[in-house]
Amino acid sequence: MTVPMLQVIREVQIPLVAVLLLTGCVTKVRQMRRTGSLDSGLGPTVLFPLGMRKPVALAMCVVEAVLGLGLIVTAGSTAATGGPVAAMVFRLGAGLLFLVATSALIELRTVRPDAGCGCFGELSTAPVSGRTIARSALLTVAIVSTLGLRAIKAPHTGTADLELLAIVCAELLLIGLLSPEVGAGLIRLGYSEPCELRHVASGRTLTALRRSKQWRRYSPLVASDVPADIWRELCWRYVVYPSRYEERAADLVFAVFLQYRRPLVHVALVDSGTGLPLPLPAGKRRVRLAPLATAAEAGTSAAAVGAGVAEAVRASEAADAVATADSVGAVDAVPAAGGVPAADGVAAADAAAGDAATDDPDTTLVDVLPRQP
Amino acid sequence: MPSAPASFACCDRCATLTPPGLAAGGAQAGTPGRDPARRRLLKAAVFRPVADPAPPDGANVAGRLATGFDGDQAPAYDPSQPVGYSDKSQLPRTVTGTIMDVSPQVLVLGEAGEEQRFTLIPDAVAWRGTQLEPAALHQGDHAIVRLCPSSRYTADRVWANIGRVTGIIMERSGSTLLVHEGATRQPQIVGIQPRAVGRIQVRFPTLEPGYLVDIIGLRHGDELIGMMPATSQPAYPANGLPEPALVSGRIPTSISGSATWHEPHDEPPGILGVAYPALDPETGCAEAALSGPQHGFARMPYLAIGSVLRVRNECTGKDCLASVTGCASIGRLFNDRCVTCGTSPRGRVADLTIASFIALGGELERSCFNATITIGE
Repeated sequence: MTVPMLQVIREVQIPLVAVLLLTGCVTKVRQMRRTGSLDSGLGPTVLFPLGMRKPVALAMCVVEAVLGLGLIVTAGSTAATGGPVAAMVFRLGAGLLFLVATSALIELRTVRPDAGCGCFGELSTAPVSGRTIARSALLTVAIVSTLGLRAIKAPHTGTADLELLAIVCAELLLIGLLSPEVGAGLIRLGYSEPCELRHVASGRTLTALRRSKQWRRYSPLVASDVPADIWRELCWRYVVYPSRYEERAADLVFAVFLQYRRPLVHVALVDSGTGLPLPLPAGKRRVRLAPLATAAEAGTSAAAVGAGVAEAVRASEAADAVATADSVGAVDAVPAAGGVPAADGVAAADAAAGDAATDDPDTTLVDVLPRQP
Repeated sequence: MPSAPASFACCDRCATLTPPGLAAGGAQAGTPGRDPARRRLLKAAVFRPVADPAPPDGANVAGRLATGFDGDQAPAYDPSQPVGYSDKSQLPRTVTGTIMDVSPQVLVLGEAGEEQRFTLIPDAVAWRGTQLEPAALHQGDHAIVRLCPSSRYTADRVWANIGRVTGIIMERSGSTLLVHEGATRQPQIVGIQPRAVGRIQVRFPTLEPGYLVDIIGLRHGDELIGMMPATSQPAYPANGLPEPALVSGRIPTSISGSATWHEPHDEPPGILGVAYPALDPETGCAEAALSGPQHGFARMPYLAIGSVLRVRNECTGKDCLASVTGCASIGRLFNDRCVTCGTSPRGRVADLTIASFIALGGELERSCFNATITIGE
């Protein structure tokens, strides 16, 4: 039983090493295409003189591709692919490559402790550690163990399939444990950029603005469909439209929070001549105003649905009456959020949505029901 | 040899670009909507705090409603705060001009038919490639003079013919470099002085095309005679900027790093401004070459022309508000540290105009100071 198991383990090494070589080559090519440079950040190339880095990086990539493909093609050791001799050459070559790589990583760790190994392109930026060196040494042993191996054959029984799968999984797990790139890759997968650093297209902001309640309410004031100015600061993008108000030239300014869904929107009307803020025209009112205290209470209850639709409408109307018209989104957001800080843009905007719909002239009863999570 | 397009304006160059969806006809400089000062005014109108008329029982709620946002979500902008010196009497001013006459006590600058006389304090120091007595300056030298905060006509520091070239090496011929400083500037010729070659190559070992260089020296016509390295050279070429580190959570409003200065070229003299390394990619950066990297070494929040920063010199403790007047298309590629006082974090956070740099206590020949910028004030 031991001998067949060892045989299977040896056979597994060839496709595994080949896949790792090809993955290394592909990630390096991707990095080269992204940075436009052949020699940047490719680990041990920094040990070479400047003029040699580019050819060395290119050669490393080519060698990896050739050995990876060669290992796969010659795995069957058939006469068509050169027989056992060709297979031996590629396996020996791969072993030599990993042996040199292990030595180079040890040297790199001594000479440039800050440099990454560059094994998988930009994923391998972490400084070379014992794990990286151990992985390289493990792969050297793995591929050397296949020297003299005859043709690889597919397993014939279900048990053999399971054995093979278990061995592959175990080895992948071991390689994963020795690979700092796995952690870096997982971080990238789950990474969400802070809004201050997120690139959001202006067109997207304009689309979000035109879907907002503030736009529907104040767009009649806009004198031109094309904004006069757009700029961004931190998490806000400002959009200025030329406008007219009571026969005076004015600027209608929207501040749109840079999030993809239901962004918070503020609006202001500014006199073009004097630069002074102008009062925004009030929207249509359907329900008479309620006192402030009632507004705050009703705002909370509106979020909880139980207080009923009419109360929610009254709360929103009252809040509008208290606050200036330029902060409609936030006005609705603050009381309705019920302790949710307005700093949480999503929460605030979502919380606002329930109330925001209530003072929209087009709102139906269905609209004022809170959205389901 | 590439030549710089001449169609771009100066300080408002980035604001005059037309982002997608914006009226092309309004892209001319001077259009009210593009004026950085007007942007500040409009922003303040959106987030203006409103007088609280609420009754006592509803005061807190009304206060929050009227403001419209919590402090950490919307920019904490105070329109009543002037942009410029935090305290004019505490910060030195800068005057530039051509030296008409100089003696140990008096310096006469002439500019556009006007003469200005400045009294030199006894400890006044001058720089012209090296430190020297003010009386050793020459007539015809272009001088940058730092005035004492207490007196408008008393000077304590003079830099003569100082220049700086920060850019990407395009060509090298012996000890002469052709340096690309950005798409809106003409390529600069830097001739490294023979006795300064060793000194510069210690900090800039790779004087080859594609690599970054930052040299301070003496202006001689259109050429800069390189005297000293301004910083250390990044190990990577300009187009091989390493992938920036991932940043998560909230971005701090205060960011520390190195603050440098740049020559004015087409900027008005004396402007208190800062070239910020991370302008919104949608508005773009006219100075940046289209083929070059579109991001910098340090991840910084996106801003626009006209945004206001508080820049603090950690070495002197002085600070002032300065508005963003440009994008540091080359400065953002550096990953250097400033070691004027202690060691700053890597990356340039501000590329100041000469007036701002001197007002904050910077010494031009030292090339940088450790700085902290605060956004959203």
